[in-house]
Amino acid sequence: MMRSHALREVVTFEVRRTLTKKRFWIATLLVPGLLVVIFAISFVSGSSSDAATQAQSSTRFTFEYVDLSNIIDPALAKAAAGTKVASAEQGLADVKSGSVTAFFAYPADPTKQAIEVYGVNDGVFGNGKYSTAATNLLKASATQKIGSPELSVIVQGGATTHTTTFENGQVAGGIESVIPPLLYLVLLYIVIILMGNQMLSATVEEKENRVTEMILTTIRAKTLLVGKVVSLFVIGFVQMVAFAVPVGLAFVFFRDKLNIPNLDLSALQFQAGPMVIGALLLVGSFALFTSTLVAIGAAMPTVKDAAPFFAGMVITLFLPIYAVSLIITSPQVPIVQAFTFFPYTAPVTALVRNALGSLPLWVAIVDIVVLYGLSAVVLQIAVRIFKYGSIEYGKKVSLKGVFAARGIR
Amino acid sequence: MGVMSIAERSTSSDPLVHIEHFGMSFGRTEVIEDLSFEIGRGETFGFLGSNGSGKTTTIRALLGIYQPTRGVLLIDGRVFSPDNGDRLGYLPEERGLYQKESVVDVMTYFGRLKGLGHAPARKWSLAYLERVGIADKATARIDKLSQGQQQKVQLGVTIMNDPELLILDEPTKGFDPVNRRLLMEIIEDQKRAGATVMMVTHQMEEVERLCDRILLLKDGTARAYGTVDEVRAEFGGTRIRVDTDDAVPPSDAYEIVSTEQGRTELEVGNDADTSVILASLVSAGLAVRSFTPTLKSLDDIFIEIYGADAKGVE
Repeated sequence: MMRSHALREVVTFEVRRTLTKKRFWIATLLVPGLLVVIFAISFVSGSSSDAATQAQSSTRFTFEYVDLSNIIDPALAKAAAGTKVASAEQGLADVKSGSVTAFFAYPADPTKQAIEVYGVNDGVFGNGKYSTAATNLLKASATQKIGSPELSVIVQGGATTHTTTFENGQVAGGIESVIPPLLYLVLLYIVIILMGNQMLSATVEEKENRVTEMILTTIRAKTLLVGKVVSLFVIGFVQMVAFAVPVGLAFVFFRDKLNIPNLDLSALQFQAGPMVIGALLLVGSFALFTSTLVAIGAAMPTVKDAAPFFAGMVITLFLPIYAVSLIITSPQVPIVQAFTFFPYTAPVTALVRNALGSLPLWVAIVDIVVLYGLSAVVLQIAVRIFKYGSIEYGKKVSLKGVFAARGIR
Repeated sequence: MGVMSIAERSTSSDPLVHIEHFGMSFGRTEVIEDLSFEIGRGETFGFLGSNGSGKTTTIRALLGIYQPTRGVLLIDGRVFSPDNGDRLGYLPEERGLYQKESVVDVMTYFGRLKGLGHAPARKWSLAYLERVGIADKATARIDKLSQGQQQKVQLGVTIMNDPELLILDEPTKGFDPVNRRLLMEIIEDQKRAGATVMMVTHQMEEVERLCDRILLLKDGTARAYGTVDEVRAEFGGTRIRVDTDDAVPPSDAYEIVSTEQGRTELEVGNDADTSVILASLVSAGLAVRSFTPTLKSLDDIFIEIYGADAKGVE
């Protein structure tokens, strides 16, 4: 029987001591902090570029042009301080002599040939105004020929579509229904990457500092390990929130200024089935990786010794990504099936298939049962390793030793 | 059956610790062959032996960390479980604390695990730190403390919540003489408060000062077991220091243990009459400057039992 007050104390102690460490917050806020810095640089840089481009667009200068395409409207060119000349040679000579600031040579077919632009040197950035003016004049003249600004936008690919599909007579979810359950996958990656080392080192401290014997005569090993796993869940949740809040704030308040894609959140579809299955898969996946990493940590004398095993776990986590095109297009192929049912590749594969709607319910149930069941088994093994390892100070614990040892209760 | 703590069952007159035909093997290595002993309530018990004799193994088996190969190990009539061990105080040989946490936080945590409320655990911790002279370190991280200060904190964690059974595995290891005395006083306080103490130590003066009964473990069996006087009687006899420049003649009445310049040590049985021996030496013409009979010390007995094994003993 596990004493609930002891479990509560372990969770409280572990959560409190982690959340009061500066190191934890530095690590947690590092990624969102870097994002903020990148966004800020992007914002400042974007603002300056926009201002400069705006200034360039409004800069007036004299120019000459030749037009083999017959698209340029002379009236528009004149309004922009342009003068048509008889030959390219003349325009070029005038630029060289400085009598005009620029010369544009429009080819017969501007869609296939480049517009030749010549100008008085105004620096690398300042020279951009010549190209801008040349293309703007061409666009304005083309629009003038079409005779309708709306048609011009359509011709330039400015039209948008809104697709609705049906399945069994009901409106089927599009990309808007894929994104919400796919966020579980993002959360899984973030938490495992951020917390992997913490999971590995969950029990190493007790061993390194010789705390194990004192604590094992005060509470059960299982209580200690379950408490540590629960505290990792709590800390993981805090990290998710700490990560999501700055990103969310940036999206809501600075989306336009930071060039973040304009995703219409109101269009997202939160379908109950995939959301519930995704949540269960996420928690089960987190539990499996946590208990496995805790077991590895319990077997190793130091975090350094455990690091290669963590790398192995990360590889299994990323392995399905290499087959993501198959997961999306051909979920029935053997490799995807194998990834779906192998416990350590199932989390990513199943979460992707769940989001895309290609995960049958029975497969989801099998995966969920396997993830939770295996988590419990691995946690039991972790407890045994921890108890065995507790008296193997400074040594690696062999699995053979753990299961062969009669001396462990 | 509900779980009862050690304290709840302590009215019984049965021994608090009962170990019967305990055997322990690791693979083909037999560490404990056949060990039986009991510790009565309120008793202070010295569990002695050379390094590697199986003392820590016995304690770990008693506390459920090891599963015994055979035999019965009971505390208060039952196999120990952390669930009913709120009032067990265990100071292991391999000991340490959470290094990156503050002293008072760690002590409060262990107090909470032992069933104390947060405020009482904290209050007790601060009072204890005051007593052992490190109150100013209450909020310091454990790894900022000296080894001796950390030992004090560990002892504090051990004796929290008035333990009924204290198991101390080499409690004075790493202590200077001043702090060793302080620690002895604390153990004596616990003893006076009614705690049963099981103590592993290599300091025989501590044994003679504190222990009611002792057990000397050798080759996985109890080589000696009883009160200090009983063990002395069993292994002891009397040592006689004779200061003389003459050669002491051999005799059936005594055994010559050592001879140095001007001093000879004799060993006689418990029943020997030392005055007769003195008379025989004088009548043999020896010029005896002094003749000092003393009981054999526990140190002597320890060395006699463990011989070469004891060379590694601190």
